[in-house]
Amino acid sequence: MIPDVYVLGAALHPANVRLDECRLEELVYRTARAALDDAGVTRRQLDNVTLGASDEVDGRPISSMLLASPAGAYRADETRVSDSGATALCLAVARIASGDFNLGLVASWGKSSKTDPEKVMAARAEPFFTRPLGMNMRVADALFAQAVAHQHGVPEEEAATRAVGAYERAARNPRGVAHPIPSVDEVGASPVEAMPLRAGHRAPLTDGAACLVVASGRWLRRHPGNRPLARVAGVAWASDSYRLDGERLRSMGSARTAWSRALAQAGMTGDALDIVEVESPTSYHEAAYARVFESDGARLSPSGGTFAQNPLVCAGLVNAVEAVLQLSGRAGPVQQPGVRRAAAHSCHGYAQQGNVVVVLEGDGSA
Amino acid sequence: MSWCWKGTGVPEAVGVIAAFQTDYRSQHPDVTFVEQAQEAAAGAMAAAGMRPDDIEAVVFSLAPTFFMGVADADRWAIDHVFAAGKPFFRIHTGGATGGSAVHAGYALVRSGMYRTVMIVGAERIGETPDAQHVLNLIFDPFYERDMPLSTNTSVALMATRYMQRHGVTQEDLARVVVRQRRNALRNPHAHLKGEITVADVMASPMIAYPMKLYDICPRSSGSAAMILGNADVIDGFQTRPAFINGIGSVTDTYWIGDRLVPSADAEIAELGLAAVSAAECFRRAGITDPFAEVQVAELYDPYSVVGYLQLEQLGFCATGKAARLEDDGVWDVDGGAVAVNPSGGTLCSNPIAISGLARCIDAANQVMGTAGAMQLPGVHTAVATAVGGIAQFHNMTVFGDDHVEFEES
Repeated sequence: MIPDVYVLGAALHPANVRLDECRLEELVYRTARAALDDAGVTRRQLDNVTLGASDEVDGRPISSMLLASPAGAYRADETRVSDSGATALCLAVARIASGDFNLGLVASWGKSSKTDPEKVMAARAEPFFTRPLGMNMRVADALFAQAVAHQHGVPEEEAATRAVGAYERAARNPRGVAHPIPSVDEVGASPVEAMPLRAGHRAPLTDGAACLVVASGRWLRRHPGNRPLARVAGVAWASDSYRLDGERLRSMGSARTAWSRALAQAGMTGDALDIVEVESPTSYHEAAYARVFESDGARLSPSGGTFAQNPLVCAGLVNAVEAVLQLSGRAGPVQQPGVRRAAAHSCHGYAQQGNVVVVLEGDGSA
Repeated sequence: MSWCWKGTGVPEAVGVIAAFQTDYRSQHPDVTFVEQAQEAAAGAMAAAGMRPDDIEAVVFSLAPTFFMGVADADRWAIDHVFAAGKPFFRIHTGGATGGSAVHAGYALVRSGMYRTVMIVGAERIGETPDAQHVLNLIFDPFYERDMPLSTNTSVALMATRYMQRHGVTQEDLARVVVRQRRNALRNPHAHLKGEITVADVMASPMIAYPMKLYDICPRSSGSAAMILGNADVIDGFQTRPAFINGIGSVTDTYWIGDRLVPSADAEIAELGLAAVSAAECFRRAGITDPFAEVQVAELYDPYSVVGYLQLEQLGFCATGKAARLEDDGVWDVDGGAVAVNPSGGTLCSNPIAISGLARCIDAANQVMGTAGAMQLPGVHTAVATAVGGIAQFHNMTVFGDDHVEFEES
């Protein structure tokens, strides 16, 4: 059994393609404030804060200097991972489970509109061999799409159909961006960006932020008036090789590892999950993850996933919030009936080099 | 490999199994960044008698990548530090990164999530044309950046305020440099070392009053790794571990002005924040009198004044008194009461991404009896610190030769 760690509150910032009306610190503050209010706790009660943020995306070195306090980390134990918001959630769970902490906030954000994501991703390439090739996010995603399409036999028609389906689900999600819904033909006719990726296959980047309040069982027993929204039943993360060869890409090793370990911790199989919120930078990714996680149809990303909102770095934590909303019966128009167990997935790095899976359980109130 | 969370609900004892550091120099032109990281990872595993499969998770210690121009360079190093297929993430809290990375690895083991975690990192800041220019970018672009603030100028302002308040002189600060450069003579990895005099420090070029060249750390390149394990792993691999008996970490406001006013919760010029993390750290470790109970302090001190500030805030002496005790030899490795930075500290080697990790390694080595020529007799408890941002992040770790489990109040 996993040590008892619970989600007490959750919040998403209203997403948009460009959030020009607020500064980065306002974006973070509003979301943290909303999560604390949702949990019914104050900033002063927090004994730890875990951030998931990238300097390069934020456009400044040590961006947590500016953003720790808006995230509630004033005179608190604060740390930061740069991989993803979902990775930060994993570390936050470990901190609570260590027995050294009792009440924490996890915060992640991405203001993709204020940076040049392709240049950031290009700078991720090592300078000797990969960078001169012109590697960036688009090309890496395309290499992944090629590999998994070949491995799993994903036709272009499926990629187009999945993109339209994701946009349709996203359109029902009040927390998502109101993107126009294309037709399958329009996706199929959209410009090729890097073979086999067309513009219509790619989830548009957006600005956004996500926060979760997590608490130990000890804390909850001392505060019986605070009711948890979900229990963290399993967390796992793994990384693949830096290589971008076909074997690495098509094997999806870290995704499989994170998936199986999180489920094992939770003591359940994938069949037991009512919904799985998957981070899919493109519809080819959704096709691949649906197969590897054996999760498709109504239970796959009811929120619309990255096609609802796709803030760099924090899209996985957005998925975790969406999963918590489903478990607590607060997902609104995208609420699925009877959700008791949910998984949130995140991927990051070149061609999804890193993968995170978090399994959450509700009390059945949904 | 046992990866599945045991989930006993009882916090695990966490001990240092082994560690490794390269020599710190301005440049390591013979190796790339990832090869540096690999050297540390392989070195730590060799020291532990472990193979890559014995390491269950990896924490990468890496501060701003703006210094080296490869964004998220930790991911480039995944294969080289034997992390492919494993849980891996990067910790980044500026200068405090190394200490924060140790705390993250500690959480993964203490929670029962993993049995063995390696913390590893590398730094090549010596290749950055102008680190102070990059560090200017950490400041607020509207009010502070154009002053121009950098780590040099901001610490100079802190030092001026501290010296004026407590009657501390430039010579008092110079004595720290003299002591630590001498200590570093016994450290084979130290970047700067040697017998120098107070007059030498005073004669070094003024960078930002009162900080002269010798009051300021070098830009060091190198790599380091530490392996942590739970009780089962300790039983299998280390007969004399250094247990992590306490951690403390705290973050202050970004705004320097809010840390200068009378209503400030923690005064920046005194590094008041350090008192907060120390109190929590010592509480967890069950230490009530650090001066009497701690034999070695490896302090993150990139500037001569920062060591004094921490000695006072950590409770080793009263505020404003560290310089006078320096004069009395209280912080000396030979004959002192508390050996402060037997390694030479950050003042002699500052590979930013791993400086906090190096402090932890040097403190743990003293407890494990593996500090080589730096080894002091009778070390049962040692502390390590790290500072990041502009005195905005402070963390601290207590290492002990026996495991202490302090009951939560």
